[in-house]
Amino acid sequence: MDATERRDMLKNVQQADFVVVELTLYTNTHPDDQEALTQWRLAIKEAASLRKMYEKRFGPLSLHSIPSEQAIDTGWRWNQAPWPWQM
Amino acid sequence: MWVYEKKLLYPVEVKECNPKLARYIAEQYGGADGELAAALRYMNQRYTVPDKVIGVLNDIATEEFSHLEMLATMIYKLTKDATPEQLEEAGLGPHYVNHGHALFYENASGVPFTTTYIQAKGDPIADLYEDIAAEEKARATYQWIIDVSDDAWINDSLKFLRERENVHSLRFREAVEILKDERDRKKIF
Repeated sequence: MDATERRDMLKNVQQADFVVVELTLYTNTHPDDQEALTQWRLAIKEAASLRKMYEKRFGPLSLHSIPSEQAIDTGWRWNQAPWPWQM
Repeated sequence: MWVYEKKLLYPVEVKECNPKLARYIAEQYGGADGELAAALRYMNQRYTVPDKVIGVLNDIATEEFSHLEMLATMIYKLTKDATPEQLEEAGLGPHYVNHGHALFYENASGVPFTTTYIQAKGDPIADLYEDIAAEEKARATYQWIIDVSDDAWINDSLKFLRERENVHSLRFREAVEILKDERDRKKIF
């Protein structure tokens, strides 16, 4: 398993998820900003797609995702290091 | 309820052991203006604010817990390979004799966390003004930590957190305006 590739792919997920966090906070106080609401929906879509790509290879980041066969085959388990503070 | 995500909000890179920096970062971990105080404060205030601003408190509180995890990661990595002598030199001797290499919710001076740092007044405007002040104080603390740190990698993560305080402060200010508008509308009839 390529550790650098895993890190890069995780960084993509982190970036995309952060856009969702930021736009969620913004739309909380700007509920009538239609352009922001559109961006927010697109950001959620983008984040979901990047997450899917990562999880397919390296296993679920949360238990809302179904573990892929590829991940199970390579020995993925939820209770498996590295945890975020060990990476 | 909450679902755990096996990733940090933003990357934390630690290249070398630095218990002294870990001690300073503790100010934002278990200090009066730190992330634990912020998370617990907003999470608890959200029950008694008007519906229009519940989301602001709920979502910022949730983000604060992810900040707490980033700080924990920094402290853990900066101290995990430190010898007792190195911890003592960094002023963490008292921490070591009580907690070993474990993390603890305390400030940079080793004072344990207390909920007397936070308030819930049951008055939305009073609570939101406290929240704005909390974000500004946290922003300042991050700046002071960055000023005494020469670790470029840690500073990158600390700068991210500092910027988040600015955004949160702005969102709380907007929440105040939303409540004021609502109050003023009720007066006109």
